[in-house]
Amino acid sequence: MKTLADKSTLNSGVTSRSMVPLELAVIAVGFVLVAIFMRVHWTTNFMIFCMLVLSYDLLYGYMGHLSFGHMLYFGAGAYAAGLWLVRINMSCLQAILAGVLCSALIAAVLGCIVVRTRGATFALINMAFNEIGYFVVYSALRDYTHGEDGLSCAGAPVLGMIDPYDEYHAFGFVLVLLLAVFWFMRRLTSSPYGILIRSIKENEKRVSFLGYNTSAFRWLTFVIASSLAGLAGAVFAVVQGFVSPMAISSFGNVEIIFAVLIGGAGNLYGALIGGVIFMVIKNFLPVIIPGAQKLVDFTLPQWELWLGIVLLIIVFALREGVVGFCAAKLSAIRAGRTSEGI
Amino acid sequence: MLQTIVYGFTIGAILYLFSIGLSITFGTMHIINFAHGMVYALGVYLFITIIPLLAGSFTLSMAASIVAMIPVAYVVERYVIRRLYGEGLDYSIIATYAVLLIGTDVIKMVWGAVPQPVVDPVGVSISFAEIDLPVYRIVIVLSAFAVFVGLRVFFTKSVIGRVVVAALEDPEGVRCLGLDVNRYFSIVFVLGSSLAVLGGVLYAPISTVEPYMGFHILLVAFAVVIVGGMGNLTGTFIAAMALGMVMAITGRYWSQASHAMVFVVMAIVLVLRPIEET
Repeated sequence: MKTLADKSTLNSGVTSRSMVPLELAVIAVGFVLVAIFMRVHWTTNFMIFCMLVLSYDLLYGYMGHLSFGHMLYFGAGAYAAGLWLVRINMSCLQAILAGVLCSALIAAVLGCIVVRTRGATFALINMAFNEIGYFVVYSALRDYTHGEDGLSCAGAPVLGMIDPYDEYHAFGFVLVLLLAVFWFMRRLTSSPYGILIRSIKENEKRVSFLGYNTSAFRWLTFVIASSLAGLAGAVFAVVQGFVSPMAISSFGNVEIIFAVLIGGAGNLYGALIGGVIFMVIKNFLPVIIPGAQKLVDFTLPQWELWLGIVLLIIVFALREGVVGFCAAKLSAIRAGRTSEGI
Repeated sequence: MLQTIVYGFTIGAILYLFSIGLSITFGTMHIINFAHGMVYALGVYLFITIIPLLAGSFTLSMAASIVAMIPVAYVVERYVIRRLYGEGLDYSIIATYAVLLIGTDVIKMVWGAVPQPVVDPVGVSISFAEIDLPVYRIVIVLSAFAVFVGLRVFFTKSVIGRVVVAALEDPEGVRCLGLDVNRYFSIVFVLGSSLAVLGGVLYAPISTVEPYMGFHILLVAFAVVIVGGMGNLTGTFIAAMALGMVMAITGRYWSQASHAMVFVVMAIVLVLRPIEET
């Protein structure tokens, strides 16, 4: 049963390449709808978060490496872009490039250390580096980053016409970048390289017996995922005009993991849907809870408790996430129909 | 300098008491147990609630809070940890993290998010070569050494301990002997949780009691467990003392850097260690 499922996912990745323009259009329409039903600048934040979740999905969903330190690269990208805008020049595109390069550089160096480890140690050493990064931003470099006060930065319009502080311009700009990231991820995961990293997830030893240097591929995937996280962070800094240490705090990691899991790991749509569901929960629960508090006469738990309960449900009951669950139901219905036809 | 060394041993002692449970859970069941932080924090909050009821007796309240946490630890083991046995590491991390989140929110709901004060029960300092040493810190260090010796005896002499040591080496082999490994793991899990509560209560008077205290010690304890070797009990003791000393010495010169330095040491250890095989 497991091999069948694997085969279908491997094939679907390859055959659907011609469908990519259609997919991108569907995603664009989806986010425009979200923007219509919610606030536009919220949706911009949702999309930035989705970019981050997509980058994490490459590392965790596709290669099977759970990391508790992905926020380090998001934060590094955000702070590098912010510092570029404050210290060097006002060009947003150059700032974003600086953010991506900064994250890529950090990941390239630290990657040499983290690929030596696996499993639990991999997850935890990433968390350790994340903590060091938080400390660097929070205390060691506080003359540059302004520590807990956060860093305010302002950029000039992109290409002279897209103003990052206009909510509609920012929405369009981030949407284009998100589609680009999605397209890149689609190409990457359906390429031979993508199949190779999925094979590493299944059985690394066998892949290395086939003659591949698995450490090199793990390092490369780590650097790519971190650079994409840096892109998300840099865009975040440019669009928000403000970076606080929360952008690099390791508490954010569980939010990413949660978003990946709720959508279904190793599935690009899962990352998008999980990201949106998570952000909706995060943005609406603080509104709903005080409202519900008026109805019942005691302090209701804040949203961490609900997050914990949902995580437990996912782990014990809904392993494949929302997308996987719906896909399984759909194929069950289809299978039922074909058997009736026969 | 002597003061710094005593402070280092104090932090090391607390880290040791906390890390034993983590190390055993990883060594026996290959589970990274974030819920350990929940047991630790909840135990300390129970202690704060119990202490006025028992007329301020520190020792009695400590014993009472440890006993009160045993059922909680058992429930976590029985309904979360045991169901994760043999699952992927990622699911176990996420599920136990979820327990930690729930526990933290329950603490905030019941006791509020404001840090709670705990009074030093001994409150005396001894002067030695013109340096003031709080007696309480020495008590902490001595209790950690006592626990270390006690655990050595437990794991080498008692039947339960020896079964667990054997199961750390080869769980399948022990199961083949007809022993119910899970039952022994439960006992050791509860033991580890009780030691975490002990560490938390001992640490409470010299630290701040707040809902996120479990998170903060977990991060450093993971470093201890990784440096000491997962499932290696003597290694955990040495690593805890060494990293406690690192924290105390760094804290003396640059207090904000003390946490970061622990992770720097951990990274160096991992670089020097041979590459893990799949």
